[in-house]
Amino acid sequence: MFLTLQHDDKRPIYQQITDGIKDLIVRGELREGMTLPSVRQVAGDLGVNLNTVAVAYRQLQDEGFVTVRHGAGAAITSRSPHPIEQAELYKPLRTALTELVLSGLTGREIVETVREQLALLQQKGGTR
Amino acid sequence: MSAPSVGGVYVFIICLIVPVFTYALVKHFWNAPLQNGTGYFFGVEVPAGFYDGQGRRWMTGYHALLAALYGVWAVALGAIVLTRWWDMTPMWAGGFALLFVPAMFAFQAWTRHKLGVNPPVRPVALALESRRLGDYISWPAEALAVALVALSWWLLLRHAGAHFDWLTPLQFTWAALGMIPGKMAMVRLSFPLPAERTEERYRFQNAARRFWIRLSGILFEWFLVVVLFGGALMHALSPMRPAPVWRWLVLACCYAVWGYGMIVLFRGMREMKAMSADLRPSGSWKTPFGRSSCFGMSRAFQIWFAIWFGGILAFILYPLCKARF
Repeated sequence: MFLTLQHDDKRPIYQQITDGIKDLIVRGELREGMTLPSVRQVAGDLGVNLNTVAVAYRQLQDEGFVTVRHGAGAAITSRSPHPIEQAELYKPLRTALTELVLSGLTGREIVETVREQLALLQQKGGTR
Repeated sequence: MSAPSVGGVYVFIICLIVPVFTYALVKHFWNAPLQNGTGYFFGVEVPAGFYDGQGRRWMTGYHALLAALYGVWAVALGAIVLTRWWDMTPMWAGGFALLFVPAMFAFQAWTRHKLGVNPPVRPVALALESRRLGDYISWPAEALAVALVALSWWLLLRHAGAHFDWLTPLQFTWAALGMIPGKMAMVRLSFPLPAERTEERYRFQNAARRFWIRLSGILFEWFLVVVLFGGALMHALSPMRPAPVWRWLVLACCYAVWGYGMIVLFRGMREMKAMSADLRPSGSWKTPFGRSSCFGMSRAFQIWFAIWFGGILAFILYPLCKARF
């Protein structure tokens, strides 16, 4: 199972790792109980600082996607993370919608795009 | 049947080493810069037509380096044979390896410095599978190697005479047991994975990691452990005047391990070449986060290699310095 990090991605590295792992969880490729490689291994494989990977893992832990046990690595906990406040949950959605509106798409086109993307996500992950 | 003489043993060693090194030169080293095709020189991407112009000079330079290294090797062998100074055989074989490995590393580093200063940036993939030491290293086998070394030292301490040269078993112990942390560093050695053909590249990297761990375990750990244990056993048996067959048996065991190592080496090299033939080599691109390295990214491996190799070098140079001053 692989996670790809693009060279033209503007997000910080730790965010790319966090989002990539979350994406794999949503798609059902990373299941509960599966372990992630150690911080040292990920940092070595990517050629990035240990702290960068540690921040990504800590964020995943804070959001309830993984549990980090000292010496045993990080394990995927479940596909339903800790509840996040609705306002927090909608923030990235609002940002994405703003971008789509600014790009000149109509309301109907945006709804259609969201529906397509959601269908794609559900198809990959087998979620309902 | 008489026991093998020291000179006879060394002639036998020479007869084994010469064809192996010659085969390696012809089959692997001579065209090593072209192992990834004409689009690359030692893993560094080169423009089309490179080998019609600048590339020819690079190939000539590389072949000149090989000729010089093998020339030194051949002249040293000639001197040993002519003077019948067979005791110099280990120095000749080991010295060549000590000269050859850094020279090849230096040439590749020079190539990257001159031809691959600014490789293209490409997306990088991350394998989400843990590499555990136990998946690559057999701990019972390592425990057996340590036990054999300990037993060898016990035998030597009990039976070696007053004029025994302790430097050789020390050197063998250093080189053999030093491979255990070396193997651990190799498990953790990592190369960036390209985002294209990631699965194949990952399989190749994993196979290469297993191959190098296995090969170094046979040639640098088990071969030396068997030689050390065989030598210690002969010392322990010498007051009982063992039959020559025992000496031949010890010698046969040493060379069985060496021969097996050579089979693993050449078969593995062929398999690695076939697996990586059409894959983008490490070092021909860089990740969004920094330089891609053809020598691997693990600092632990570099530190281990410097200490291990430096130790072997010190063991070789110490008697020479002692004799001179």
